[in-house]
Amino acid sequence: MHKLCDSPCESEESLSAELARLAGHRKVYVLGIGNKDRGDDGAGIAVAEELQKTFPSYSHSEHDGLEGIVLDLSERDEDAFVVFVDAADLREKPGTTRLVEMEEIRATEITTHRVTVALLAALLGRSGKHSAVLCIQPGSIEFQAEMTAPVRTAVDSVVKVMSGLMERSAP
Amino acid sequence: MKTLEVVPLARVEGDGGITVTLDGKKVKSVTLDVHEGPRLIEQLVKGMTPEDDINVVPRICAICTLSHKYAAIRGLEKALAIDPPEKAQLMRDLMMLGENVESNSLHTFLLALPDFLGYPSAIAMLNDYGDDVKRALRLKKFGNYVMEVTSGRIVHGENPGLGGFGKYPSKKQLSDISLRSKELLPDAVRAVELFSSIEYSEYSEVDTTFMSVNAPNEQFGLAGDSILISNGNETSADDYKKLTSERVVPHSFAKRSKFNERPFTVGANARMINMGKRLDGQAADLFKENYSDRWLRNPLLNNLAQTIEIVWALEHMPETTEKIAALDDPARAEATRTTGSGTGAVEAPRGILYHHYEVKEGLIEVADIITPTAQNLDDIEVHLKACAERMLAEGKKDEELLLPLEMIARAYDPCISCATHLVNLKRV
Repeated sequence: MHKLCDSPCESEESLSAELARLAGHRKVYVLGIGNKDRGDDGAGIAVAEELQKTFPSYSHSEHDGLEGIVLDLSERDEDAFVVFVDAADLREKPGTTRLVEMEEIRATEITTHRVTVALLAALLGRSGKHSAVLCIQPGSIEFQAEMTAPVRTAVDSVVKVMSGLMERSAP
Repeated sequence: MKTLEVVPLARVEGDGGITVTLDGKKVKSVTLDVHEGPRLIEQLVKGMTPEDDINVVPRICAICTLSHKYAAIRGLEKALAIDPPEKAQLMRDLMMLGENVESNSLHTFLLALPDFLGYPSAIAMLNDYGDDVKRALRLKKFGNYVMEVTSGRIVHGENPGLGGFGKYPSKKQLSDISLRSKELLPDAVRAVELFSSIEYSEYSEVDTTFMSVNAPNEQFGLAGDSILISNGNETSADDYKKLTSERVVPHSFAKRSKFNERPFTVGANARMINMGKRLDGQAADLFKENYSDRWLRNPLLNNLAQTIEIVWALEHMPETTEKIAALDDPARAEATRTTGSGTGAVEAPRGILYHHYEVKEGLIEVADIITPTAQNLDDIEVHLKACAERMLAEGKKDEELLLPLEMIARAYDPCISCATHLVNLKRV
């Protein structure tokens, strides 16, 4: 797991630089994962929905059908960098963000009755697309909980960083 | 004493494990342990209105969300004496076809197939079976699309309601579903080819009983008011308690079911065994080519049954969408009473799902939900034990038991989250 920073505020610049390095000149897509019914678990969805307002063709949430979107992207003839955004227990302070390389996700992911992010990333990789997972440490994932303040701050920060990156890559 | 453990059991929904306790070459016990915490949904909906209930109960699970919605609707419509219009019934058929394609394609291609082909996961299959992984995703995407068009969203759609639907799809959307279902048929047939070419192990084979709904009009289908039992009997779904005889066991948060003191199977294989003769089209041909007496004993064949069911579902979408498009959008049917009771039985991808309600003066007094996985748990343990005993008798090493046991449990396509209710191997 590649750790970029210990806190969201300190991370913004380094997160931006790392994402820009990985993205290069590729078109950038954001795919948000999570469950908005469970407080901070909806962080990835919140990021994707916010970015969708400005980049409707480049940002999607799990509710749009992740498998279908990845399948379409994998069959598209373009150089793309796909960032999956998801809440993940990093055993860090709530709101901490980390960028995880796909190889590390594959090694540790436990599969349930769903198409895994690792499989989607592998499919993208097989068609020459690059991807990474941007993880946000949740504070509370209780059913019907509100998003906590540190995670809300992290979501805003990620949206800002991704906006900058997508502005440069979107036509 | 030695314990073999498979914890967690991967590629199923929810948190569970299998514990096998061994004493020499003897299997002392096999338990399918459910670690997932209880969700208490039945208590939560007490005092709610029926309209609120049907928006809450599907939250038990994001996999069978529409099955839960539909089972609740059927139970509550009986309780409130609501007679839904024909177009609403057809829409419900269509949404269930979509859910069936979505769930069965994911389970067969991506969760079960890697074991049979000797890969640790679908990711490892990508190099050799990349086109099949894409087939799975295409089918799943299409199933999701049908669910979105009919229910309003891919997950937890709120368009289906008591007495009908909030809105009905456009003719263009219906035509699109019809066209795409025909285009995807070769992908589903490929799934049948893959699973019919597998040599299924005999270790787990034990005779059992199969239950499914009896779909109306002598059709193969995913909902019905009575239950077919493979012994030739038929019972009203209202008698669901006699059919399931639920009890509590110490090692599981899920209740267990037996019928006439014996475990039984629900799922796609049960549907095929009880209603397979009613299939038509290519699905009927594939069923006839592949069915044998082993289906009555071998749970691994549930995977093959699921693939034939995908073919059936796709083949029935054009006819269903044409019928929907030919009817005017009806108003929702209204409740004709405020007090009553009713049981809804539908076929979730993994078997019969019961929702029973007692409503008094417009509010829910009793809710009882029995999921297919909860019904299958005893049956899974019987087949796991048979497999472990036979493999040990043949001199297999303890570690060689683990994957076959996992494959048996996975073949039932269990939803442990829903059941709330997977190998530890102990040696004494």
